[in-house]
Amino acid sequence: MELWKYIGRRLIQIAIIFFVIITVLFLLFRLAPGDPVSRMVDPDMTPEDAEHLISQLGLDKPLGMQYLYYLKNFFTGNFGESFHYGQPVIDIIGSRLPNTILLFTSAIILAALVGIFLGKIASWHKGETTDTVMTIGALVTHTVFLPWLGLILIWVFAYKMNWFPITGMLSEEVWLDPDAGFFTKVLDVLHHMILPLTTLFLIHFGSYLLLMRSSMLETLKEDYILTGRAKGLPEKIIRNHHAAPNAALPVVTSVGLSLAFSINGGALTETVFTWPGIGRELVMSVSQNDYPLAQACFLLIAIVVLISNLVVDTLYAYLDPRIRY
Amino acid sequence: MKTDIETPRKAHLKKFPWMDRLRRGWAIYKQNLLGKIGLSLLVMFALMALCSFIPPLIDKMYQPMTGVDPEITRSTGPSFRHWLGTDFMGRDILSQLLAGARVAFLVGVSAAFMSIVMGTAIGMVAGYMGRFVDTVLMRLADMIMVMPTMLVVLMIAALFGQLTIWTIVLIIALFRWPGVSRVIRAQTLSLKHRPFIEAARVAGASHLRIIFRHIMPNVLPLSFLYMTFRVTSAIIIEAALAFLGFGDPSTVSWGMMLQWVWKTGHMFKAPYWLLPPGICISLITLAFYMLGRAMDEVLDPRLRKEAGSD
Amino acid sequence: MALLDVENLSIGYHTQKGYLHAVGGVSFSLEEGKSLGFVGESGCGKTTLGMALMRLLPPNGVIRDGRILLDGVDLLQKSDEEMREIRWQKIAMIFQAAMNALNPVHRVHEQIAEALLTHNASLDKREAYEQVEALFQLVGIPKDRMQDYPHQYSGGMKQRAIIAMALACKPSLIIADEPTTALDVIVQDQILKEIINLQKEFGISMIFISHDIAIVADVCHDIGIMYAGNLVELGSREAVFNNPMHPYTKALLSSYPTLTGEKSRLMPIPGETPNLIHPPSGCRFCDRCPAAKATCKTGEAVWVKISPDHKALCYQCGAVCRNE
Repeated sequence: MELWKYIGRRLIQIAIIFFVIITVLFLLFRLAPGDPVSRMVDPDMTPEDAEHLISQLGLDKPLGMQYLYYLKNFFTGNFGESFHYGQPVIDIIGSRLPNTILLFTSAIILAALVGIFLGKIASWHKGETTDTVMTIGALVTHTVFLPWLGLILIWVFAYKMNWFPITGMLSEEVWLDPDAGFFTKVLDVLHHMILPLTTLFLIHFGSYLLLMRSSMLETLKEDYILTGRAKGLPEKIIRNHHAAPNAALPVVTSVGLSLAFSINGGALTETVFTWPGIGRELVMSVSQNDYPLAQACFLLIAIVVLISNLVVDTLYAYLDPRIRY
Repeated sequence: MKTDIETPRKAHLKKFPWMDRLRRGWAIYKQNLLGKIGLSLLVMFALMALCSFIPPLIDKMYQPMTGVDPEITRSTGPSFRHWLGTDFMGRDILSQLLAGARVAFLVGVSAAFMSIVMGTAIGMVAGYMGRFVDTVLMRLADMIMVMPTMLVVLMIAALFGQLTIWTIVLIIALFRWPGVSRVIRAQTLSLKHRPFIEAARVAGASHLRIIFRHIMPNVLPLSFLYMTFRVTSAIIIEAALAFLGFGDPSTVSWGMMLQWVWKTGHMFKAPYWLLPPGICISLITLAFYMLGRAMDEVLDPRLRKEAGSD
Repeated sequence: MALLDVENLSIGYHTQKGYLHAVGGVSFSLEEGKSLGFVGESGCGKTTLGMALMRLLPPNGVIRDGRILLDGVDLLQKSDEEMREIRWQKIAMIFQAAMNALNPVHRVHEQIAEALLTHNASLDKREAYEQVEALFQLVGIPKDRMQDYPHQYSGGMKQRAIIAMALACKPSLIIADEPTTALDVIVQDQILKEIINLQKEFGISMIFISHDIAIVADVCHDIGIMYAGNLVELGSREAVFNNPMHPYTKALLSSYPTLTGEKSRLMPIPGETPNLIHPPSGCRFCDRCPAAKATCKTGEAVWVKISPDHKALCYQCGAVCRNE
């Protein structure tokens, strides 16, 4: 019960933040140099279509009315038409979103799990070779420049070794083949996903590892660890059952705090690997001056970040009984 | 004039133990291996930045942006003339690399400086004023911290056209001040109730005066040290933006170099061009990270290597 | 044969500043069913002593010398594996409530059941929980609070839970380390009475560690006074209380306000505890002792038997005692 109330409160907070973002975006679009109308209406449109779109988006009305139109359009999913693709923006972002979620969530979850697991092990072997190797590895992978890491991986594993495809999410041959089964298609996507996943994973797991390591070392000094030893519990149980669950909590918080950084990374990864996700779409639409698409991508990413924050916070509340009760 | 009575004005000057702290801090710092490595790397990059002025002086063709080798008009490997080779236009890669070091420091330091100024001011005001002002400012900080900086700059670039390096730095700073303000606010909260602040209030000092005359000197040195080594994110964001093609076209940065090697299709053919800028960005990030960790140990005694308790 | 025989125990810590002599040459015996209280100020080594008895010293702690005989068996010769079995089954510990002795992310009844299940492989979960229920009833925690998390308990309840946990495996010896510190006086009183009752009912021997001599005198049959790592006086509570011999004991007792008896001045003990990394030679209390003589700094400490159940470690005591 408490958990639901907590989620409810956070949803309201998110709604407020989102409103602020939408409003700021609205104002920015109107304040930027140039004609705001040209931002919404494809210059290549016929005058009649343009007229129609203008009145639909309310661009000929006063600013206050425009804002209301803007909100109405947002909530009805009407983001206009993409200049570049000539299709409704909502369709485009709708097809891109699952790809981003697939790549992003798997990378972050994997990074968190591996980081926590290895960080725990590193703390057990503090000062030994295992620990040094892991710490250095984490440090190095965490500070490498993400796009460059992606390029290097492509160069080595895709270009030189030919183990993986260089770009994209799908191989056309597989997906256009009427005989290809579901399983084959899934494997194909996974095959394409390995390099971008590895890139995102490598950049993130290091910080989680280092954090878990120091968190474990701190937790092992706690009083209840002494209690565990006094009770005659085996060391393994003390570390895994008593120390690790407590030590993992700050790492979960850290995942939430670094989500903005992670989303940046996600967008960069998608661009380098030509993964058809929202991040890449944003980058491309900005360089092509496809304003309606760019705006929608940005708002969608904002929603993704906010919801991810909520998910992480909820997870934390679930894991830490002091919050739940 | 009674000299044995300490006026509030004199009292606040006595609260400058940071000189002493600085000396002690340096002694601890010297023992830290990570800190030493980080510092050496940074010194190396600083030297690179300083040396960046040299190549164009030797010969016009070594100008990173506009220098063109009359004999070379495509990307070539390392040679005696060009120690790291040339890019697709025949420009010297090494001079670009050195210029990139200069840009990296510029971006990192300016962004850090601006965010410290903003973050300190806002943090002090929030901590000192408390209640409504505090809540509003900290909510604002929360909202800003949620936003992915790079993507925001992208949107702004979309609307306002190509951005100059200074605009980019300013926007980055605008998104990094929340981190600073949190730390400063916490410090301010702990200082707020100290006797010398009370004394100043009783003596009739206005809030503004108290904040800037009394709280700031005590809060600033620590925050400066603490924040300066969070410079890395600014460098990375600029590099990422340049990589995507949204950097300042008149500045040669490492990110820009990567963009060129990528977009001109030389990725697989020119390792001498692909590797150096990426290595530099990664190493400078590593250097600042190590430095930051070493600083943490200096500032927070609990993190130092301790042996034994009782 | 006594349940617990400690002979000449010396314990220290390796610190950055040097080797700290935390406990030096402590010897005592504890009979079955009896309780012994250790009193002293912070840093006197009483907690170290308690921890050492269960061999729970931190990694930089060492037991340099001596023997700990539990039922005639020297615990210092036991391997880690053997110690783990002995812990909680033979000797258990009651920690301070103020400490984080219970893991915040696990429910209380699980943590107590854990102790049972670890030491009794044939027990299944259901039976373990039934035993936990019985324990809760014993210490007076309502059954419906069993499945709560530690942070939901009040200080007094937490202490009761910790006591219940200590009793779980029916140990022969319980070491209680400041069990009532940080509790308000009313709860303190309840817990103390609880402890006394349980001790009598189950015939458990107890070592009670506290800085508060009044509490120890209330609960324990025998009292040991510790100062700067040394045991300076040991005897039955009546003997020590009514006839304190060691200057430190005397000073300790007179620094206490009492509700009854004559009005006397409270006398704080001047000076500070000595540096245990470089302990002074001779008597460690010398610098603060009102009866100090030049001879106190040299010569061996000698246990002076004042009565069959009362002795004191004093260079001068012998002379003083014989004079009186």
